[in-house]
Amino acid sequence: MRPGCPESAAEAATRHWPVNRPCPALAGDAEPRVYPRTRPRTPSGFLRLTLLGLLVLAARSLPAQAIGQGFELERAGQYEQAAGIYLATLRADPTNLSALLGLERVLRPLNRLGELLPAAQRAAAASPTNAALRGVLLRTYVALNEPDSGRAVALRWAAAAPRDEAPYREWAMALEDAHRHAAARDVLLVGRRALGRPGAFGIELAELSRLSGDWEGAAREWAAALEDAPVQLPNAASALAEAPDAARERIARLLTAGTPSPLTRRLAGELLLGWGQPQRAWAVFEPSVATPSADAAFALRRFADLASARSTPDARRVRALALARYADLTPEPGGAAARARADAARAFIDAGDRAAARAVLERVAQDSSAPADAQRLAQRAVVEALIDGGQLDTAARQLATNGRLSADDRAGLRLRLARARIATGDLDRADSAVARDSSVEGLALQGWIALYRGRLKDAQGLFHAAGPYAGDRHEATERTAMLALLQQVPAESFRELGGALLLLAQGDSLHAVQALRLAAGRLATGAGGGGRPDLLLLAGRVAARLDSAQQQTALALFDEIVHTAGEGAAAPAAELEWARLLERRAQTAEAMRHLEHLILTYPGSAVVPEARRELERAKGAIPKS
Amino acid sequence: MKRRNFLKQLSGYVATGLSGDIAALLAPYRSSPLASLLVPMDDAQSDHLKAYGVTYHVVQAGIKAEWLLNYRGGSFLLPDGPAIRRDAALAGVSVEPVEESRVTAIRGEIEASNMDAVPLEKAPKVAVYVPPNAPPWDDAVTMALQYAGIPFDKVWDFEVLGGKLPGYDWLHLHHEDFTGQYSKFYLIYAGQPWLAEMVRFNADAAKQLGAATVPALKKAVARHIRDYVGNGGFLFAMCTATETIDLALAAERVDIAAAFADGTPMDPEADAKLDWSKTLAFTGAHIEPSPQIASFSDIDGHQVNAPARRQPLGAFKLFNFSAKIDPVPTLLVQNHRQVIPDFYGLTTSFLRSRLKPSDVVLADEEGAPWVKYINGNHGKGTWTFFGGHDPEDQQHQIGDPPTDLSLHPHSPGYRLILNNVLFPAAKKRELKT
Repeated sequence: MRPGCPESAAEAATRHWPVNRPCPALAGDAEPRVYPRTRPRTPSGFLRLTLLGLLVLAARSLPAQAIGQGFELERAGQYEQAAGIYLATLRADPTNLSALLGLERVLRPLNRLGELLPAAQRAAAASPTNAALRGVLLRTYVALNEPDSGRAVALRWAAAAPRDEAPYREWAMALEDAHRHAAARDVLLVGRRALGRPGAFGIELAELSRLSGDWEGAAREWAAALEDAPVQLPNAASALAEAPDAARERIARLLTAGTPSPLTRRLAGELLLGWGQPQRAWAVFEPSVATPSADAAFALRRFADLASARSTPDARRVRALALARYADLTPEPGGAAARARADAARAFIDAGDRAAARAVLERVAQDSSAPADAQRLAQRAVVEALIDGGQLDTAARQLATNGRLSADDRAGLRLRLARARIATGDLDRADSAVARDSSVEGLALQGWIALYRGRLKDAQGLFHAAGPYAGDRHEATERTAMLALLQQVPAESFRELGGALLLLAQGDSLHAVQALRLAAGRLATGAGGGGRPDLLLLAGRVAARLDSAQQQTALALFDEIVHTAGEGAAAPAAELEWARLLERRAQTAEAMRHLEHLILTYPGSAVVPEARRELERAKGAIPKS
Repeated sequence: MKRRNFLKQLSGYVATGLSGDIAALLAPYRSSPLASLLVPMDDAQSDHLKAYGVTYHVVQAGIKAEWLLNYRGGSFLLPDGPAIRRDAALAGVSVEPVEESRVTAIRGEIEASNMDAVPLEKAPKVAVYVPPNAPPWDDAVTMALQYAGIPFDKVWDFEVLGGKLPGYDWLHLHHEDFTGQYSKFYLIYAGQPWLAEMVRFNADAAKQLGAATVPALKKAVARHIRDYVGNGGFLFAMCTATETIDLALAAERVDIAAAFADGTPMDPEADAKLDWSKTLAFTGAHIEPSPQIASFSDIDGHQVNAPARRQPLGAFKLFNFSAKIDPVPTLLVQNHRQVIPDFYGLTTSFLRSRLKPSDVVLADEEGAPWVKYINGNHGKGTWTFFGGHDPEDQQHQIGDPPTDLSLHPHSPGYRLILNNVLFPAAKKRELKT
């Protein structure tokens, strides 16, 4: 519904007029069948009055019934018939707004808008002070491309209501509907001057600027409009967020130039956050919440929520900062502040700032009024921070003694601690942490520990027991891939392989490649190879992601696998990795040769569909979105 | 009824494009004891769309291929050879080696049924009409050509008016609005940078080519394209181009463009002044007089961007033709599906009442007043119009990601497009079409 307009026809239509037959009592002297009659009798005076009143009501309800039919026809897409109903209604009641608006709607697609003009003129003449009727007449003139008449109507209206924004707004909207954006803009600027209010029509002018591609103009108008209408901040941010890349920096500079108001700062902050500049966003936003208030707290909460949509470390950090600040400002004692601090701590941990996380958590821990769930959250975050900070023994003590941790949290943290122990190579303590854990997550971790110790058969058994349910999909896929590798190695234990895989888990890729090659060297050569090609393939995949020198190693490994692996799955997989590496090194022609060789030589291989897709990508046959 | 002509001796061609090694292996290609390779086009085929590319490469290398109309979905018969097998394997196209005896049996079946074997002689030189500054939508035909590995050139107004079209056997049109009104996109996309760029680009082109306005330029281009068809060219058009090229041709001396396009309003008597004798496919249509309505005329049955008139999508059915008597329409409807889900475009379909009597309807929606796919002759050439934008994107919006055809290797809609690409390769026969 347009601002300033009376009830629209759509809203009017929601009031249901039942489509009844016309009252037969209107004809001649017949009495209306309003009430069922049991015996004929002469009505008393009171009854006569009552009957008369009902007659009047029935007569009045006829146009309402008719226009209801018009709405139904319009909804059914029968515009011609609907127009007939509306016109008939207007003949009986020239100022019937619902009928006029209905005509305005249906005549347009019928290309008969010209027929609306006389009806609109009659209506406006009959009720010259009715703003809605003036609006219809004005819109009709503009739609019929009669600018002078439209202008005359608008100016008369403005003269009659000199402090009213409606005449200019209606005029501008009519021009905008006719896609005459520049003219609409001029009208609003005239209106702004005439009304003497510099902030008038800010939102409309912002939208018009946006439509014409003047993003800086739009930003300027939105910033001004926010002072009168702070609740429009989300709309302003949403509208300006669509600015093309080339305009964004100009918008940001415009909004942050000089000493912007708090609302303008918040607008700039939201935009920068959405445009992937969280640090700058916080720097611009923060001063707007320097003065504690409920409004500032709300703004901080909103900023934190917006930042949570981004998963970059910087975004997490500014979210944490916003939450921590919110906790300080929130007017609600205890619960909300403590929860916010706990959330902030987690966000700091996610952003890698453990020191800040600990500082926030200490405040939660000291807050005796914090509710139990917030305390638990904080305690969990404390232990997580200790684990991530490498203070594993302290974390272990906390796990053992901290009574404020829930059982579920304790179990999850124990697994996290075990993983951290594995990363440091302390397999014994990792093992003891999960030895009595019979959950699928525990079994999966025990499987990894067994694997790193070189106990291949035990690892396979534990991975099978854990199934696909432990951890997330990535972890389940990793275990499956490892099972596939282990199935190729006939040995039940293989310390060198375990050691190599542990290096890989610790992130020491360079030494892991060397260790894998050494381990592969201990396996038999020849067709099948007892897992040798598979280990070399793993080494090659790891090396392919490293620097140029290691990539050369990877290429050599793939070459060796393709030429020595025989009929196993390793050869086509190696050729695919070979082609991918060449493609990354911009050696496209060579990559294509390998892909073609793969497809032709191993037609039954499971990697052939992937190879075809890589081939099409290399040829440029896959469209880029 | 005329019988089928027998094949002429093949002329040699120098192999070009992607299958150069096919020609290099011409001599040994018959070293296999198996005579031919059948490329089935029924549900046994693993990639219908790339099958057209494999066949195109064979023909491009100067090797004879045959299109077995109505046999197993419109299969292809290629000579057996390592290079052809290699091309098929790389493309993931299913092929079936067939011995001579089986080929004989196939020919017998074709002879006895509503089927025919059409020789494919010459790989057509393909041009796609598209402006150099690519607009933000995707062309189903170029995507099909790229996916199938069929090479093509891009041409635009400069090339068309510069007389370059006769160098091509096949010309494709898609989004272009030959009425010069930028597809009336300003109604929905006003203010968008790409639209402003399109307006500027076209206005510059008009100036450089000596046209007073963009609509005048597009009309001249439309006439050149019509003449190209008349002189023997093959034209395949989809979406907006189908309707607007005929409107531009009919309006040679009438202003049917809104003021935003050429500075002057449309002639209010435009309908009465259109000359339908100059068009390819349509007649008697009514121009949309309102610049506020995103429609060009009443040729389009679905009127997708006119909300009050928009019709819902159904499905269209391909017609059956006599393969031996009507090889051209038979060829154009080859498919492994007969009923295909419909898809919108700025021009989605064609009202029956606006077709010329000579138009051949290849597919329509049963019970609906519109048809989907039509074909006809003009002079020595042939045109085919296919309504809609993208067969695998029913309601494509500007800015939507392009269709990845590797996810639709069996698309029946895209097969119709590729039928048209191979059509010019077929040896023409003197039969009623």
